Amino acid sequence: MKRINKTLLGLGISAALLSAATVHADTLKIALAGPVTGDVAQYGDMQNIGAMMAIEQINKAGGVNGMQLEGIVFDDSCDPKQAVQVANKVVNAGIKFVVGHLCSSSTQPASDIYEDEGILMITAASTSPEITARGHKMIFRTIGLDSHQGPTAGNYIADTLKPKRMAVIHDKQQYGEGIATAVKDTVTGKGVNVVLFEGISKGDKDFSALIAKLQKENVDFVYYGGYHPELGLLLRQSLEKGFNVKFMGPEGVGNSDLSSIAGQAAENLLVTLPPSFDTREENQTLVNAFKAKGQDPSGAFVLTAYSAVQVMADAINASKTTDTQKLQQTLREMAFKTPTGTIEFDAKGDLKSFDFVIYQWHQDGSKTQLK
Amino acid sequence: MLESLLYFAQQLLNGLTMGSTYALIAIGYTMVYGIIGMINFAHGEIYMIGTYISFIAIAGLMMLGITWLPLLLLLALLIAVVIASTFGWAVERVAYRPLRGGNRLIPLISAIGMSIVLQNYVALGQNNRDVAMPQLIQGGWILGSDHGFDVSLSYMQLLIFVTTLICMGLLTLFIAKSKTGRACRAVAQDLKMASLLGIDTNRIISMTFVIGAALAAVAGLLLGLYYGVANPFIGFIAGLKAFTAAVLGGIGSIPGAMLGGLILGIAESMTAAYLSTEYKDVVSFGLLVVILLFRPTGLMGKPEVEKI
Repeated sequence: MKRINKTLLGLGISAALLSAATVHADTLKIALAGPVTGDVAQYGDMQNIGAMMAIEQINKAGGVNGMQLEGIVFDDSCDPKQAVQVANKVVNAGIKFVVGHLCSSSTQPASDIYEDEGILMITAASTSPEITARGHKMIFRTIGLDSHQGPTAGNYIADTLKPKRMAVIHDKQQYGEGIATAVKDTVTGKGVNVVLFEGISKGDKDFSALIAKLQKENVDFVYYGGYHPELGLLLRQSLEKGFNVKFMGPEGVGNSDLSSIAGQAAENLLVTLPPSFDTREENQTLVNAFKAKGQDPSGAFVLTAYSAVQVMADAINASKTTDTQKLQQTLREMAFKTPTGTIEFDAKGDLKSFDFVIYQWHQDGSKTQLK
Repeated sequence: MLESLLYFAQQLLNGLTMGSTYALIAIGYTMVYGIIGMINFAHGEIYMIGTYISFIAIAGLMMLGITWLPLLLLLALLIAVVIASTFGWAVERVAYRPLRGGNRLIPLISAIGMSIVLQNYVALGQNNRDVAMPQLIQGGWILGSDHGFDVSLSYMQLLIFVTTLICMGLLTLFIAKSKTGRACRAVAQDLKMASLLGIDTNRIISMTFVIGAALAAVAGLLLGLYYGVANPFIGFIAGLKAFTAAVLGGIGSIPGAMLGGLILGIAESMTAAYLSTEYKDVVSFGLLVVILLFRPTGLMGKPEVEKI
């Protein structure tokens, strides 16, 4: 008797949960997953303001298939363990669409869960090639890959900067080591002498031993694969020690926090970033909409996140369904006009074309385009 | 030849500075352990709070128009020490005193809880991004040069090294010579007996935490100035390294904490210099295991007779 009661109770609860999920059939929930806290939270903000703006504008224009979109923010702190928890939460909440995650090491484990549960995921920021290299159907991205970014950086180093003794440093994480290896392979292929390839630990604060080593090896150019908290300190301490050479990093280092950590040493940094979509003429109405809300549209992932939401909405409108199995086919077939250009996905879910651009970084957090 | 010698000297200097910073935090661990035989796991958090308070104090003082560096640093140090000491006192009052006399493991757990509380308290109050501060003390000396390789010692490095030495010297004197220091030693030897002889043991233990916290605040200010960056989670790694240093040198021994810190720092910088930066942690923690295998009480620790 007792057991039956429990079963009944269980059924009752799940029925209640199910009905809670279906009550608002006229809203379509999109999970925005990324770091809201932690030391790379700035990237989460970029994604969220971009995605929220897209949701707001799509809703104003009548929504998708008569439904209003609703963005729900989830915080993974850029921590792989927490990313898995977030993915499970998304599954339990019955949400079928995800924009995120940010850090490749978070996106990778979370995307396995989304794939299994038939949840459509578009990341606006993760550039690690492995994420889409596993034959997943539900996983897309509106940004380029490290296997593009690495060669872009590597070619610029080998053809324009022509260092004599170069060092490549990385943070031993999926993203950092991946891009560092891609750059190293490109430059060695072009005959650049890489004298040092070493990893540091995430959270390291004292780089004096490493800097002395770079000085001894007469290194004249450093590529760093990783995020800004470590590179900021590395730049700052290098300048302090009189090790005054150019550094270069991927899009994970290019934000204003780097400038506040590194101070004037930030002038020594080159960064590969997605192009500044916000300076394009056709995007000025959108840029002004951001500015009217006091938001900064120049962050690297703001408009890629906007595009991620938009392609989801366009695909739903075009195929008149929210069935993610059908939508993933639509996404692969259509071409979408977005603020980040015309988006077409290949069979893996990657963009057919995406260019990275090289910028000179500045002390005040601004940047100038070099190539 | 000269160049590789200079390189060695530079790495030794780097290691000494890094080691001093570990030692400064390690003294707090070792003091509390020496007196009540417990590890204060919230100590790293007190260091983190010390860094935050010095950042806030420096910013505030500069806004008030105090820009003369020695005065600015002295005032910031005073503020950081006072506030961090209050935190240290509160940690003892909340997480240790109510549990004293019970199982030794219980306060250990409550201290870990305290550490998580403090971490999140700062994360909520100050938001958990990196805060940065511009360089206040710049420049240094070039000690030698060959083939374009310079051995340099920055003012900041020297300041850290000297301050650690002074703090350790003062503390050793205080414990060895003063009346309160004698009471501390008595409490360390036998808490119950000391209280029977009229020593206010509660006061002595509170004071131990306060001194430990004050030293952590000194470390917080110095390292805050040196690195120029802080976030609510720096206490964890710093605490772990300092704890390792304390155990390496022999926990409970104040010169041991200094020695342990320096050995750890030099081991790290030499690994980075001659092997690879990747192996830094492998070597330093491997060293800990090896030393504990041959000297279970650490380098300068005395074998302890288990008190029943």
